[in-house]
Amino acid sequence: MSTTIIVILGFLIYAILYFTYGKKIERDVVKASDEIEAPSKRLYDGIDYVPAHRVVLFGHHFSSIAGAGPIIGPALAMCWGWLPALLWVWLGNIFIGAVHDYLALMASMRYDGKSVQFVASDLISKRTGTAFYWIVFFLLVLVVAAFATVIAGMFAKTPEIAGASIYVTVVAVLLGYLIYKVKMNLPVATVIGIALLAGAIWLGTITPVPAKFETWLVVQFFYIIIAAAIPVTILLQPRDYLNSWLLYFGIFIGFAAAIFTFRGIEIPLFSEFSPVLIGGKQTPFWPAIPLIVACGSLSGFHSLVASGTSSKQIAKESDGLFIGYGAMFTEGFLSTIVICAIAGFGFTALKTAAAAGNVPFALDHSNWGALFTKTSETLKLSQANLVVQTYADMVAASFLAFIPAKIVKVIAGLWISAFALTTLDTTNRIARYCLVEMLAPVKNAAGGLYNIVTNRWIASLVPAMLGIYLAWSKQFTIVWPAFGAANQLIASIALMTGAAFVAKKLKSKFAVMATVPAWFLWFTVTAAIIWFMIVVMPDNIAKAPGQGWTVQVIMGIMLLLNLLFIFDFFKMGKEIRKSAAGESVDEKKSETA
Amino acid sequence: MRIVFYTGKGGVGKSTIAAASAWQLSRTRRVLIVSLDPAHNLGDIFRVTLGKGDKRFNENLVLREIDLKKLSRNYLEREISVLSGTYKYLQAFNLDRYFSVLKYSPGIEEYALLTSIDETIRGGKDFDYIVFDTPPTGLTLRFLALPQVTMAWIDRLIQIRKQILEKRYTIQKIMRPLKEGENNPEVRLDYTEEGDEVLQRLRFLNENYQGLSRILRSEQCGFVLVFNPDLLSLRESERIVEGLRDLKLPLRLLIDNKVTEENRETAAKAEEELRTATGGVPVERVLLSGMLGGEKGLYEIPEDLVSILH
Amino acid sequence: MGLNLLDILKRFFQDVHRTQRESLVALTCVELRELENIFALLLLGSFAGFSAPPTFLSLELLPYMERELRIMNRQAENSGDMLAELMGTLGID
Repeated sequence: MSTTIIVILGFLIYAILYFTYGKKIERDVVKASDEIEAPSKRLYDGIDYVPAHRVVLFGHHFSSIAGAGPIIGPALAMCWGWLPALLWVWLGNIFIGAVHDYLALMASMRYDGKSVQFVASDLISKRTGTAFYWIVFFLLVLVVAAFATVIAGMFAKTPEIAGASIYVTVVAVLLGYLIYKVKMNLPVATVIGIALLAGAIWLGTITPVPAKFETWLVVQFFYIIIAAAIPVTILLQPRDYLNSWLLYFGIFIGFAAAIFTFRGIEIPLFSEFSPVLIGGKQTPFWPAIPLIVACGSLSGFHSLVASGTSSKQIAKESDGLFIGYGAMFTEGFLSTIVICAIAGFGFTALKTAAAAGNVPFALDHSNWGALFTKTSETLKLSQANLVVQTYADMVAASFLAFIPAKIVKVIAGLWISAFALTTLDTTNRIARYCLVEMLAPVKNAAGGLYNIVTNRWIASLVPAMLGIYLAWSKQFTIVWPAFGAANQLIASIALMTGAAFVAKKLKSKFAVMATVPAWFLWFTVTAAIIWFMIVVMPDNIAKAPGQGWTVQVIMGIMLLLNLLFIFDFFKMGKEIRKSAAGESVDEKKSETA
Repeated sequence: MRIVFYTGKGGVGKSTIAAASAWQLSRTRRVLIVSLDPAHNLGDIFRVTLGKGDKRFNENLVLREIDLKKLSRNYLEREISVLSGTYKYLQAFNLDRYFSVLKYSPGIEEYALLTSIDETIRGGKDFDYIVFDTPPTGLTLRFLALPQVTMAWIDRLIQIRKQILEKRYTIQKIMRPLKEGENNPEVRLDYTEEGDEVLQRLRFLNENYQGLSRILRSEQCGFVLVFNPDLLSLRESERIVEGLRDLKLPLRLLIDNKVTEENRETAAKAEEELRTATGGVPVERVLLSGMLGGEKGLYEIPEDLVSILH
Repeated sequence: MGLNLLDILKRFFQDVHRTQRESLVALTCVELRELENIFALLLLGSFAGFSAPPTFLSLELLPYMERELRIMNRQAENSGDMLAELMGTLGID
């Protein structure tokens, strides 16, 4: 088994199932029809509701959902061996994740482009719609914690990446100035931007910026506050623009390297069902896998993105499959490439690092489950660092070996950090908004408190402080799955909403293709959260009480919201049955009349 | 061209004094007297019927009466018809309902007042003096304050509008190569300052108000306060003095009207107080007897009301 | 066959080109829309009971503000559903 085979197999599986399973969902579950006019045409206003060409929209949608997530998750999931994670990225994506994305998109389209949050509050209960603000807020706090850890870890281990990131930030500001203030011709500005980007990468390799993990956390704290307070044209938008070029380049190189490396897999196919992972505990593959591998396979964020802007811009219903389902497949493919890199080069990377650091290396196939996580953490080659290293090794082992390894490492690291830094910026902006919405009910009762907390600076500080505080404990294997749990809780609610839409509104006969994954997901997420709270947290609270309790409380709130949700869902189900019974009685009446 | 405003509480004889002053001025200069007072006394004072347009009283004196209520109504009707013609989505917004409320909106009368004064001044180049008989105190002070308030709003709106145009320009610049050669159903967005009607209109209004503000506060312009020798009148007058001072409008003359033997003492006291309050503005006393008319018109008052103004 | 491939590539690059441009202006478009909404709200505030500029100012400018009014109405409807849109335009991972 080699990387090449995995890549090709992955491509084939996605392609075949897109045209079989995907089309079936389109035809029989959603019953997409171009006769139904899309909201972009029906409600055309030249501003939000504007039909877009499917490829362009695909580009938008994909770049909105792509980022650092699909890269980091698989790195952690390698503790189960390469096959389980891969199967989740393939099958989980096809039968659950992409279905989730697609249904959110289509339900939103049928609801005049309103978001899945709106659809949920209409179909299930108003409480469910409001719960979104809460869950998303905590989700964003956890994103800050997780991504800040990733970035700080990467910067501390490879100072060249830190240097390059700083220079790229400067380049982004400069590019923003050129594009938005000077209003320079865009292709010219792009060329300048990319040239400067290359320069920044090169400069980073020769002027590293070494600093400690904690230092980087503090730096990021200030970065978040400042970046989220300045106009988007100064840093956020131009940086996003540069990122997209980096993304194309990175995927292209990664794909080429993966196919043409012909590298044999060197990590075990399957280690054990419950290797050591989350919080140092044995982690059962089910129900924990969705918490670890999110974005490449299933991610609640996507339903909000799909129903936030994409649904208002789809030109016709038949484009939905390509955009909703297809973009998710593409992201899954991205994760596949990452898995290839780690599967093919991870073991060597770890061994080499141990030798270089004169550290005893006991990891091998027989004790993989027990020791992988610990070993990689000790060698500072876990999550992002592992990806960066193996990606560089993979490129070096392919025909692209002419690119210096150091540069490839910086590119890979930059790719992750650039996306992660942009995410930190945007999470703060959105978290501010969520906070205000969460506190809306107390506006009249506790006006003073409301005014203080919703002040723009305070509202900005709260998520940033909470996030960095959680990151401070350096317990990535706690923070990441907590983020995963919140994300998948949204996914669960969104998928249940999609399933409810299909069953209740569309009354399609093949609704099982939506309802079965929805229920499966809901059980998995609920079980995972409960397992997390009961098995994992107690010891970790003992280790770091402050952060531990914070995470525990957050998980508790989410569990509560989850249970409230399912209660409302059942209530809705009863109403459907009641009205269905009423309808069949009416039908009989009209028949006999 | 000089401009004189006659202000004062209702009933102090403001209109008669204004008319008399206009008459006196017209001995040697070309004068236009405009009455804004809803009481419509001007015609009675000169013993002529005044209609919509100007009435030439004699070689040097022209009379004009402005009906503010009618003006406001006309303004609204005109605006409503313009709006009905412009909007394609009238039904969606139920604009008709909005308009019926407009009749009661505050500010329309002040605006009508303001525009008529502005237009009068603009169109009054042929005259050496324009005399305004203003409406009762409240309205007058409100309208005089109007340019300030309006300008603050206009400033802010211009600021936001410029930001809007800047963003449109950015979008246009970045997207333009795509829009060329494309069948774009969307209405073209104005992104230049010259092309944006809203900004042009705001600027136009701004210039008008700036202009009017300047004139009102300049050497060309003067306010005359008419009062009676009684305490109530005095209090009201002090308010007007304060108001004019706050608005930095130049008060040039005080006229103590309807003085008799009986109220001579009160008159003197009132004059003293007002002279102090205004920092020494000259006072002219007018006796009641002079106001009773006779064969001569009500406008022929013996006292000299205008030398001060030259 | 060769021509077709060239066509496809050309189309592909055109689409990438377009996507890039649209991403660059996406946030600015959102900002523009909100500013226009605010502008309309400020002017028409008197109709809704807010403190507002002198009514005549609104009247003077209304004839030119069809687009802004449309936006204001659309936003009045959508302002309760902004979370997903924020996540879509800001591009959360």
